[in-house]
Amino acid sequence: MKKKLLALALALTMVLALTACGGSSGGSADNPPPADTSGNTEEPDDTSGSDQEAAGSDIAYIQGKGTLIVGMTDYAPMDYKEDGSDEWIGFDADMAKAFGESLGVEVQFLELADWDAKSMELDTKAIDAVWNGMTLTDDVKALMSTSIPYCLNSQVVVVNADVADQYQTAESLGELSFAVENGSAGAEQLDALNISYTAMQNQAAALMEVASGASDAAVIDLLMAGAMIGEGTSYPDLTYTVQLNDEEYGVGFRKGSDLVDAFNTWWNDMYAEGKVLEVAETYGVQEAVKGAMEG
Amino acid sequence: MFIPVTLSLLEGMVTTLKLFFLTLLFALPLGLVISFGSMSRFTPLRWLVQTVVWIIRGSPLMIQILIIFYGPGLIFGLPLLPRFTAALVAFAVNYACYFSEIYRGGIQSVPQGQYEAGQVLGMTKTQIFFKITLLQVVKRIVPPMGNEMITLVKDTSLVRVISVYELIWMGETYIKKGLIWPLFYTAVFYLILSGILTILLNQCEKKLDYFK
Repeated sequence: MKKKLLALALALTMVLALTACGGSSGGSADNPPPADTSGNTEEPDDTSGSDQEAAGSDIAYIQGKGTLIVGMTDYAPMDYKEDGSDEWIGFDADMAKAFGESLGVEVQFLELADWDAKSMELDTKAIDAVWNGMTLTDDVKALMSTSIPYCLNSQVVVVNADVADQYQTAESLGELSFAVENGSAGAEQLDALNISYTAMQNQAAALMEVASGASDAAVIDLLMAGAMIGEGTSYPDLTYTVQLNDEEYGVGFRKGSDLVDAFNTWWNDMYAEGKVLEVAETYGVQEAVKGAMEG
Repeated sequence: MFIPVTLSLLEGMVTTLKLFFLTLLFALPLGLVISFGSMSRFTPLRWLVQTVVWIIRGSPLMIQILIIFYGPGLIFGLPLLPRFTAALVAFAVNYACYFSEIYRGGIQSVPQGQYEAGQVLGMTKTQIFFKITLLQVVKRIVPPMGNEMITLVKDTSLVRVISVYELIWMGETYIKKGLIWPLFYTAVFYLILSGILTILLNQCEKKLDYFK
């Protein structure tokens, strides 16, 4: 039994090594057929029968167990809890609950310890969806099947309000020390600008760095900056200056999952009925949602 | 703010305590079994057990937690263990390996002459082990066991890598609300817990003061 543990450890190392280089090729082998036939995938496909079956049964799998487990992190205004409440609310949380209802299943939220582990959590079925203001980067698209973009976002530089006027351009950022969430879209932007930074566990920790003076600046999501910094928030002395890019949010599902189509159809219907914007207005993200859906 | 924070930290403390006591419950007996394996006269078994102890003690507990939780799903596509169970399995196996070496040290520190004396008195091997050796082993291993237990109290914080919401996790959630002190405040809970342990272990040592 102990030997199995060793075998397991070695096998895991191998699997990680394999997925690291073979992830995209495996994905492209599975995915194009449904996209090319542009309609139903009903016609018999004798080469990858088992793969298709596994992929086709994701909705059935979720309805069978009666729960949709949504992996997320505490991230206002998308997913957060009011003080003294145990219920997750926010634009993403509320929409996820509605999506669960449309499938006839209960939605459970699982707060991920490590955002980097999201695709591992999906692949092992520890969670069924990643739905938490996730930026659609090339990395994300290679690791999971993603929905249509449903919300716009960008990466912004956060600094102390009293020095903000000195750092209004991308060129002026070189002299600052940065804190940014490890592996986030913000980190990618700094890499592109050739600026070094301290990698933090999450965006909130990066903000804490700036607030405590440990770093001069942080790069976080615009939507989060809107909710978390400035007057009347936890960080009244911080503000944001340079906008580094434009990006889109999407929901991630297991590779080849039929939940992607189900989500896209459902979302477009909900948007047409005006329900999406109704929820978006509650959390102040309606402009970003409109931008993604109409712009 | 102080009282709601304390209450939510206590909630995390319940998970921490559950993990602590359940780990002891499984690791203490398992450690004894492993120590027999590592002292076995059957060479392949001894070699196997010693290799396992080397792997478990020699690799980071955090990696072991990740492997036990994600491993079955990633490699074999099996359903996963519940998060807390996976954490408990990792802890029980890991601490059993450490405990086994403490047991081995304790057992081997009992002089050979005492086994011989037992044999002269016509006692069986089992009788010698339980009536002579184990009594003295228990007394001798209390200090190093206490060491491991106090380490265990703090190691429980590792399980947050697989989203088991223990004490430090609860402290960290306040960072998102702009509060850093609840995270530092969790140290007080660990201090109290290890303080209680220290007192209990001291009393235990006094109670075991029956033979010098």
